[in-house]
Amino acid sequence: MSQDPIQHNICHYDGHRYDDLDHRKYATDADVVIVGAGTAGGIIAYELARSGLKVVVIEAGPFWNPQSDFASDELAMATLGWQDTRLTDGQNPLRMGHNNSGRGIGGGSAHWTGVCLRFHESDFEMRSRDGIGEDWPISYADLEPYYRYIEKQIGVSGPKHFPWGSFQGPYPMPERDPISANSEVFRIGCERLGLKSVVTPLAINSAPFDGRPPCTNRGFCNQGCMPNAKYSGLVHHVPKAIEAGAEFLTDCMVTQIELDEKGRAKSVIFNYKGVEYRQRGRVIVLASFVVETPRLLLASAQNGHPDGLCNSSGTVGRYIMPHSSHDVYGRFEHEIRLYKGTPVMATTQEFYETRHDRGFLRGYTLHAHGSRPVAMAKGLAVQAGVWGRRLRDAMVHYNHYGRITLVGEVLPDAANRVTLSDERDEYGLPVPKVTFSYGDNDRKLIDHAVHMMKEILTAAGGTPEFVVPDTAHLSGGARMGDDPETSVVNHHCQTHDIPNLFICSAAVFVTSGGGNPTHTVMALAARTADTIQDLLKRQDL
Amino acid sequence: MERIKSYYQDFNVFANEDHWDDHTREIVRKRLEPTGSLQKLTGEQVDMLRNIASLLLDDGRSSLLDWVIKHIDNKLQSDIGEAQRKVGVPPFATLLKGGLYALNELAQGENGSPFTALTPEQQTSLLVALENNTVTLTAEDGQPIPPKDFFNNLLSEVVSAHYSHPQVWSEIGYAGPAYPRGYVRLEVGLSDPWEARMSKEGPER
Ligand SMILES: Cc1cc2nc3c(=O)[nH]c(=O)nc-3n(C[C@H](O)[C@H](O)[C@H](O)COP(=O)(O)OP(=O)(O)OC[C@H]3O[C@@H](n4cnc5c(N)ncnc54)[C@H](O)[C@@H]3O)c2cc1C
Ligand code: SF4
Repeated sequence: MSQDPIQHNICHYDGHRYDDLDHRKYATDADVVIVGAGTAGGIIAYELARSGLKVVVIEAGPFWNPQSDFASDELAMATLGWQDTRLTDGQNPLRMGHNNSGRGIGGGSAHWTGVCLRFHESDFEMRSRDGIGEDWPISYADLEPYYRYIEKQIGVSGPKHFPWGSFQGPYPMPERDPISANSEVFRIGCERLGLKSVVTPLAINSAPFDGRPPCTNRGFCNQGCMPNAKYSGLVHHVPKAIEAGAEFLTDCMVTQIELDEKGRAKSVIFNYKGVEYRQRGRVIVLASFVVETPRLLLASAQNGHPDGLCNSSGTVGRYIMPHSSHDVYGRFEHEIRLYKGTPVMATTQEFYETRHDRGFLRGYTLHAHGSRPVAMAKGLAVQAGVWGRRLRDAMVHYNHYGRITLVGEVLPDAANRVTLSDERDEYGLPVPKVTFSYGDNDRKLIDHAVHMMKEILTAAGGTPEFVVPDTAHLSGGARMGDDPETSVVNHHCQTHDIPNLFICSAAVFVTSGGGNPTHTVMALAARTADTIQDLLKRQDL
Repeated sequence: MERIKSYYQDFNVFANEDHWDDHTREIVRKRLEPTGSLQKLTGEQVDMLRNIASLLLDDGRSSLLDWVIKHIDNKLQSDIGEAQRKVGVPPFATLLKGGLYALNELAQGENGSPFTALTPEQQTSLLVALENNTVTLTAEDGQPIPPKDFFNNLLSEVVSAHYSHPQVWSEIGYAGPAYPRGYVRLEVGLSDPWEARMSKEGPER
């Protein structure tokens, strides 16, 4: 095949893409309109398009071409993040943009690290087991078939045996071999402390898969994978969805959801190059992640919905959760070279489940985690206050540092939320304000994890030197639940208030879980696609 | 350009540039071009920024500072968002320009001369005061400038630019862009033949 498959699909109208939006495939008769072509949006589009439905996906960012848009460069590739300004507030204002929000086809999956972990049973049952937070309206068993389906579909690589949680392995593709020096050192440290560790399950090819090559270990996952070895919506679900008939409108920002007289969702308004267009659909799905979903709902306040759409409970925008994600750097006598290899290749979940002898509830995952110079230097300088002579001394020894990173559960708190500010953006939409503060349990968990990370580095022969406070990922803001008084969507990701309006992305998470979130986003997306298909078939929408 | 002492005296990241993809090469090469005329920063602001950056980085080499300044000027020209801005903190351009103005006033008030005429020790102690939020800054138009946010935003840009410079990559032994080639030897003690090799002499301490 001579044509670059990704490039090809930018031009999906018989080889040409109209750049005016009066030529559209399903301008008036779409079955399903999806807002956001990120991780969840791509999967839902693919599953629904191949079931024969007319699907339109509207994406605020560009249709990336990995060959000409991506680069092996940290500074230049900040463009993969959602760079529009968000106001931040609270005791621990979040770093947004490239730190947690994607934009363009693939969304966050274009620049994710590919760590592909299932949640554990306990993640869905926090209130029943620990007496805090909330339970999900679904259980691990409800998602299990979808976890399995996605793992197979995207060729997740991982160990034969996975020692934590319900899923014991094996993964569909063999685990990565070799692993990076940083990951080796991490595993040695764990072993000396009697902690189990594994080669990380990754949505990154360990062998050729589905026409895409294996990883070349160049280490730039967060800058976009150029050889297409890493799973993203951009290289997997979106091209397949287009082949199955779906239409993707890119550089189109959705600014408004419109209702009909009966109060059902009728259409969305979107902005392309300063001009407004309307897209109708029988079903509308918001797959627009954690900040933009509440923002769109709140900004769509209209007759009969003075506090925004789907907000009869007052929970739209509430209970947002990052993961705590502190990094600990340790210096080694020998070289580690943190730039080499897929950034995360070794993991432990020994501290995942609640224990009652640690002084906090819930738990965390630890990863060996590579870094390139800009991320390391900027983290040390801005988040850890290391600048001047100390920064230079550290960076001259760049190749001698190893690094471990925390992915820690953050408990849901109604005060952590997305609201609308008084400032307006270029579309005339209110700029969102994101408020976040850690709670007591969160801080105790972090202290425990930082201590363990230092222990592991020390056991491996390193000297822990720097702790860089940080967060990663985001979830919540339109949470699931059985009770319409306290949640935004039901167990099918269907909004309580408007039956033909669905929300499916990390926004529906009830709790953050003690590990990386995206496998759960993917499983939820596949499950939601099933639901929508069923309901449409039964004429129930 | 003079080189700082590091483990990697002989490594030059550009020796591998034929193995980089075109897009990346174009991006990295731009960092070496002469600054040209700046669009947004005045001569006075540039002088202050060069002083500040050399202290934040502990590196006063002129051609590296050129690129830092160019990066900040580029940022001021761009209408792309800031990703995040804390409530109560003015937009980047206002923060930077107001902050520089106020810092100079502070230098005048405390030491009787402009910031650039102070000794590095005096300059450093003012930077520490910004970092610790122990001074009050007011822009020319009377707008309050939060000192720590001014300091952190500036630090972030200066450090990001500096550690994106290929000369610095060479010195710290970072192999830089690696597409399409990638790496074959990853494990402890192994490296590919084209990567930096440690020389006998270590870095200055
Ligand atoms: C640097 C980084 C590394 C990560 N690494 C990992 C990892 O290793 N493992 C893991 O599990 N997770 C990881 N994540 C998290 C992961 O990226 C997210 O969990 C995941 O992408 C969320 O999927 P989503 O579908 O909910 O949202 P997204 O993928 O963010 O998709 C949302 C899409 O909606 C679009 N959109 C938003 N608003 C509008 C609008 N109004 N109109 C039109 N379009 C709109 C956005 O442009 C975006 O494309 C990482 C994230 C980052 C930032
Ligand atoms: S490390 Fe592998 S998966 Fe990550 S960007 Fe490079 S080639 Fe792609």
